[in-house]
Amino acid sequence: MSEAGLSAGSERRRRGLVTTAQVGIAVLFLAAWQGLTAVGWLDPFFFSMPSRVLVRMWEWVSTGYIWRHLAVTLWEALLAFLLGALLGVIMGFILARIRILAEIIEPYIQMLNSIPRLILGPIFTLWFGLGVASKVAFGVTIVFFIVFYSTYQGVREVDAVVLNNARMLGASERQLLRHVLIPSALSWIFSSLHTSIGMAIVGAVVGEYLGAARGMGYLIAQAQGVFDTTGMFAGMVMMALAVLVVDYLVRQLERRLLRWKPAAGGAWQADAS
Amino acid sequence: MTVTTPSAAAREGVPAIRLRGATRTFAAASGSRYTAVQDVTLDIDEGRFVAVVGPSGCGKSTILNMVAGLMEPTSGTVEIYGERLQGINPRAGYIFQQDALLPWKTVIENVMLGLILRGVPRKEARAQGMAWLERVGLAPFADRFPYQLSGGMRKRVTIAQHWVTDPDILLMDEPFSALDVQTRQMMEAELLAIWSGSRKTVMFVTHDLEEAIALADEVVVMSAGPASRVVGRYTVDLPRPRNLMDIRMEPHFMELYGEIWSRLREEVLKSHERSRALGRQ
Ligand SMILES: Nc1ncnc2c1ncn2[C@@H]1O[C@H](COP(=O)(O)OP(=O)(O)O)[C@@H](O)[C@H]1O
Ligand SMILES: [Mg+2]
Repeated sequence: MSEAGLSAGSERRRRGLVTTAQVGIAVLFLAAWQGLTAVGWLDPFFFSMPSRVLVRMWEWVSTGYIWRHLAVTLWEALLAFLLGALLGVIMGFILARIRILAEIIEPYIQMLNSIPRLILGPIFTLWFGLGVASKVAFGVTIVFFIVFYSTYQGVREVDAVVLNNARMLGASERQLLRHVLIPSALSWIFSSLHTSIGMAIVGAVVGEYLGAARGMGYLIAQAQGVFDTTGMFAGMVMMALAVLVVDYLVRQLERRLLRWKPAAGGAWQADAS
Repeated sequence: MTVTTPSAAAREGVPAIRLRGATRTFAAASGSRYTAVQDVTLDIDEGRFVAVVGPSGCGKSTILNMVAGLMEPTSGTVEIYGERLQGINPRAGYIFQQDALLPWKTVIENVMLGLILRGVPRKEARAQGMAWLERVGLAPFADRFPYQLSGGMRKRVTIAQHWVTDPDILLMDEPFSALDVQTRQMMEAELLAIWSGSRKTVMFVTHDLEEAIALADEVVVMSAGPASRVVGRYTVDLPRPRNLMDIRMEPHFMELYGEIWSRLREEVLKSHERSRALGRQ
């Protein structure tokens, strides 16, 4: 008991140290940046200044100018994510269950996945126009493969003993899907969720950057066009903040849905046997 | 559909489990076939508790898998209450050697699963599941997830999970081998208590001869693999109910142990030599 208490205490201290260090690094970095540009060792024209970036962000937020750009980008990312994840899950399930199909299609999937996405930007703009559709298509090409591979893996690597146990308990093929295959794959799919949501947002921003009339990527590209480094940094920071918030929400959802998994930190053992 | 009820079958003298010349081969390296069990013929009457012992790797799990219908015999047949088995055996519960609980379901959800799959309403399934958790002493843990239980507790949940569906046949593959001695004795006693009130047929695989004799009506000895077969059947005529704490000290127990061990010992030695010879190649 006292040992457990001790380790819990030292764990808390460790976490406190980590947080302090993280904040410390950020403060140090920003202070150095501010200081170096203020004394003129770095040219604020090329590097801007944290204070200016902060003021710009405040302007954007207080005038409400930022919201419609941010909303467009997040909307595109959401659509890309939903569509890409849906296609990835369905395709992953089908190919994992039908081996022969997987063997036939595999080289094509590899080939498609190895195409550098940046090249697709202009093509999609050509096909789908400057609006939302081209950005969604762009994001889908990234999200799909991430979700597809993890679903495929998840269904293929379902524990054979657990599967047979459910069979002995009377599960039909459909019931196996519902009670064993989907829950098993879910944990794999979730492990790719952080990456794929992040990628959906990156996809939307890059798509906008390559050609759009609104959105965060457009905003950054506009700022770049007039050598407004403060605007570029402000756009990037706003984007990073948005990703942090989204990631936090995903983490909460994951915590709820994957309650059955031992926490990564260390599973607590039952008190009796 | 099966129409023969167990008791009717028993009256007609049809065994609950009948293996007839069951042989099973597996693909081995370099395209050859490895014969795990060959020509196994074995009848097990309804309500009997039969233990299967043999050197490790001889094919005990393979036999259970065939009786469960998870694996088809390469040749020969498996009959359950007089009917040839095809596909999963719907009258059997199977306690696997490995962990088999669904990790994403809580303890009570795991125990309810078999009933839910049969279309029993949730409320009813839950009540029956809880009653079984009481019996195996795990009711306070109903809402935990499997990873939060010890190995012994998980085994007890698995037993409840299968017994709640009231199978006529219970297949158990070294269910207690991973447990410490105390837990193990307690669970053996629990198993006998649950079984003795039922007419269930139990096929219990173990590598522990003492456990086999203490629990079973009959001990079946398998030969060393490859091509393992039944080389001995011994009736255990120790009276029931049995006191598992002391039974190992009884003279008749030791007599039986000596008799069966002398046969099993040969096979264990053979198995040992064969695997050493393989190692030398
Ligand atoms: N699915 C399988 N594929 C290939 N070989 C197998 C398979 N299952 C069992 N075997 C082989 O059959 C033999 C018997 O295995 P098993 O029935 O698990 O033995 P036991 O349960 O008596 O230890 C072993 O040599 C094992 O390697
Ligand atoms: Mg085995």
